[in-house]
Parts: sequence; structure tokens; C-alpha cells
Amino acid sequence: MRFSLRVRLLGTIVGAIVFFFLVSVIATRVVLQHDLTQLGQTQVTNGGGAFQGYWDSRKEQIRLLVAQDAVSDALRKSLQSHNVAALADQLANNARTSGLSFLTVVDANGKVIARANGPAPGSLGGNALVARALTGETVSTATLLDQHVLAGEGLGPQAQADIKGADGKAAVEHLDRGIAIVAAAPISDQNERTIGAIYGGVLLNHYYDLVDQATAALGGASAILEGDAIVSSTIQQPDGTRTVDQQVLPAADVTKSATPYTGVDTEGGTQYLVHIDPILDDQQHVIGARWYGTPLANLNNIINHTTMTVLIWGVIAAIVALAFGVAVVQVLSNTLDRRSKQVRSAAKELGVAIIGSEVSGDHVAMTKAAAERSGRLIDELASQSGTSPKLAELKTVNDELQNDITVIDTLSQEMSSRMQHAANRVSELNEVAAALTQLVTGEAG
Amino acid sequence: MADLILFFGSNADTMIATKTLKDAGIAAKMIPKPASVNSASNLCLSIDGGAESQAKTALSGAGVALSGVVK
Repeated sequence: MRFSLRVRLLGTIVGAIVFFFLVSVIATRVVLQHDLTQLGQTQVTNGGGAFQGYWDSRKEQIRLLVAQDAVSDALRKSLQSHNVAALADQLANNARTSGLSFLTVVDANGKVIARANGPAPGSLGGNALVARALTGETVSTATLLDQHVLAGEGLGPQAQADIKGADGKAAVEHLDRGIAIVAAAPISDQNERTIGAIYGGVLLNHYYDLVDQATAALGGASAILEGDAIVSSTIQQPDGTRTVDQQVLPAADVTKSATPYTGVDTEGGTQYLVHIDPILDDQQHVIGARWYGTPLANLNNIINHTTMTVLIWGVIAAIVALAFGVAVVQVLSNTLDRRSKQVRSAAKELGVAIIGSEVSGDHVAMTKAAAERSGRLIDELASQSGTSPKLAELKTVNDELQNDITVIDTLSQEMSSRMQHAANRVSELNEVAAALTQLVTGEAG
Repeated sequence: MADLILFFGSNADTMIATKTLKDAGIAAKMIPKPASVNSASNLCLSIDGGAESQAKTALSGAGVALSGVVK
């Protein structure tokens, strides 16, 4: 199938525009995807750092609150006098006003004297942090509270949960322990002798103040993980509830390797670009993780919007360019077609001239033959009836006539030869013009 | 003055010379080539003997090569 020059030119222009357009859109999308993903990763890493800032700030706040309580005269006096009821009231008041989940005072042997959450007896002598506090050290750290400690503080139900798998369906494990930020400080008498310790903190399982505060300040979503399971978060489920008690796939590697993770994670049916930092206790063991993320849709929306903008403006530009190209091609092809037809018309006229030249040449040849015959008749007359002045003049005129006819015949042959040569050239030109017409219009000449 | 015969390298040159001399106002008659003249052209020009230099100047100006002159 042969296409006309017009179709080929327009096809080339359309092809070039479409090719340029597609390459531009794909390149824009690829570059945006790469650059915005990098920017997003930097943002969630920074967000994760800020979340850690809130975490450290809360840890320091708890340390200060516990340390303040440790130097409280009222608490010291109640401990020295072993006034359990007054001590319990004071602890309850302090815990409530400070926002602590629990606050407990032990004697110098680690035996529980009073708790903010009730009169449960017991001993914290085996607790490493309390033991350090009884040596005079004020300590603050994230830690895992075991079932024994939680039960004593009445916090067992808050920590216990069935953890669903990462797909949010079947329960895959059961949590008995709780992750908490705790602090312990020594209580000394007036002689600076340690007479006991105060131990308190915030249980983070199903406790949302910290994640709400971080999310309100940083945007996105944040979560606290015990091991690889979310125990507190602002990640929303499709029904608007919080995502909790659910495993996070990438967190398993973070807790195993104690190495932060930055990448994509799907929670609550939403894809997030996340940064996950390990949470370490005072012994540098990984006990959980902080999860901070922003919806990937934010980046994808920017990419899609920019791509769509490029696409729309590209289509507009392509239409304008195409309209201009069509007009130019139309003018060019019309001009070529017109010129080609002119050449063919001229060639046809020249063909007529060649035929005329041939006919004219035939007549010259016949005239020459007649003049020669006339010369022979004059010679015959002269030989039969002798030379007369009139006959001599007739012979002279006939000779001149023959000379002129010879010249005309020679010129005629020369012109005929040149005409033939020109005819060959014009024939070639005619073929070129016909091919040009077919090239431009696609129509056979 | 006796006529001169100008001859050229080809019949085409002879035709061009005819037109050139006509434009220069010199009377020239195209005649068959005399048998005594050795030329590739079958035609030659006959002009008045007094117009020789004027004809040569005109032909030279027009770039027409003159092969020879027979007096």
C-alpha cells in the first residue's frame, strides 16, 4: 500500500509529536516518582526523628516527675511513718495529675509499701530498675513490664491483647507483657540514707496521648510497637477506628537487626511511606519500635496531578502543532502538485511542437526533391533547345532556390535532431512530474 | 566589395552566429558549405567583405568561435 507525500508528511509529524509527547510524559513520571520518593523518604525519616524527640521528651518528663516525687517531704514522711493510707492517697494524686499509669513506693528491701492504683502487696526487689534506684541512682528507660508487675499495678487488662497478623485477620500471638516508659528514683531521709524508692511510668499499650501528640504536630500517622505488633497508633482503619494489636511486617526485621527501616508499608488498607526506628531498653535490647509514616497517596497524587497536567498541556500543544503542520503540509503539497501539473502540461505542448517539426521536415524534403527535379528539367531543356538568356536566368534562380532549400533542409534536420533530444529530456521530465504528482496526491498520473 | 564566407565548428554555432550578426545589424546569408571548405558544419555564412572586422567583433562579443574565413 502506497501513501501520498501528504499522508507521509502528516504521519511523520503526528508520529514525531506522539513520540515526543510519550517520551516527555514517561520521563516526567519516572523522574517525579524517583525524586518525590526520595523526598518522601527524607521526610518520613525526619518525621521519625521528630517522633523520637517526643518520645525522649516524654521519657525525660517521666524521669523528672518521679524524681520530684522522690524528694517530696510529704511522701518521705509518710514512708518513714509507714502511713500506707496517706502514702497511697498521695501517690494516686500525683499519678493522676502527672498522667502516669502507675506510681509505687517500695522500702529499702524492695517490698511494696503503697501503690497509686490500689493496695496490692508484693515486692519489686527483683526489678533491675528498682534495684538500681535503691543504690541511689535515678534511672529512666523504655522497658517491657511483665505480667507480674502489670498485675500488681492493676494494668494487666490494658496490656493483654490478641495480636492479629499483618493482614489484620486471624490472631497469631497473645501479648501478656506491656511496653512502658518508666523511671525509678531513690527516696532518702534527712541524713541522705536511702529508705526506699519510687517507681512509676506510663504503660503505652492502648495509650494514645503520645501518638496523638506526635501526629498532631507532625501530620501523617504514628504508632508504637511492642516487638513487631502495634500497641498504640493513629493509623486509621477504613471504618475510622485505630489500628492496634496487629503485626507490622517490616518491623520484624527492625526488631531482629536493630536497624531502622524506611520504605513502603500497608496498614489499615492504606499504603504508607514509613520510617521505623527500634526502641531500646536500658540494656540496649530491642523491645519494640516507633513507626511513623505518611500516606503514599500524597506522593502519588502529586505525581498523578503533574503527569495529568503535562498530559493535558501536551495534548493542547500537540493539537496546535498538528494544526500548524497540516496547514504547512497542505500548502507544500498543493504547490508541488501545481508545479508538477504545469510541467506535464508544458511537456504535452512540446510534444505537439515535435510532431509539427517532423511534419515540417517532411515538407522541406519534398520541396527539396521538387527543386532538384526542376533543376534536372531545366538542364534537359537546355540540352534540347540550347541556352537562352531566360533559361540561364531560370537556372540561376533554381540554383539559388536549391541552395536555400539545402540550407532549410540542413536547419530542419538540425532542429529535428535537437527537438528529438529535447523530446527525450521532456519525456524524462514528464515521468518525473507524473511520479511527483503520484507522490504528492497518491493518484496515478 | 567581394563577399566573405564565415564557417564555424557546428551547424548550431552557425545558427547562433546568424542571430548574433542579425542583432549587430550585419547582413548575413546562410548558404551550404562550399566543397573546398573543410568543416564539420554543413552550413556557413556569406557576408559583405567590408563588414569582416565588425562581424568578428560581434561574434567575439557573443562568444561564438569562428573556425575560419574564406575570401
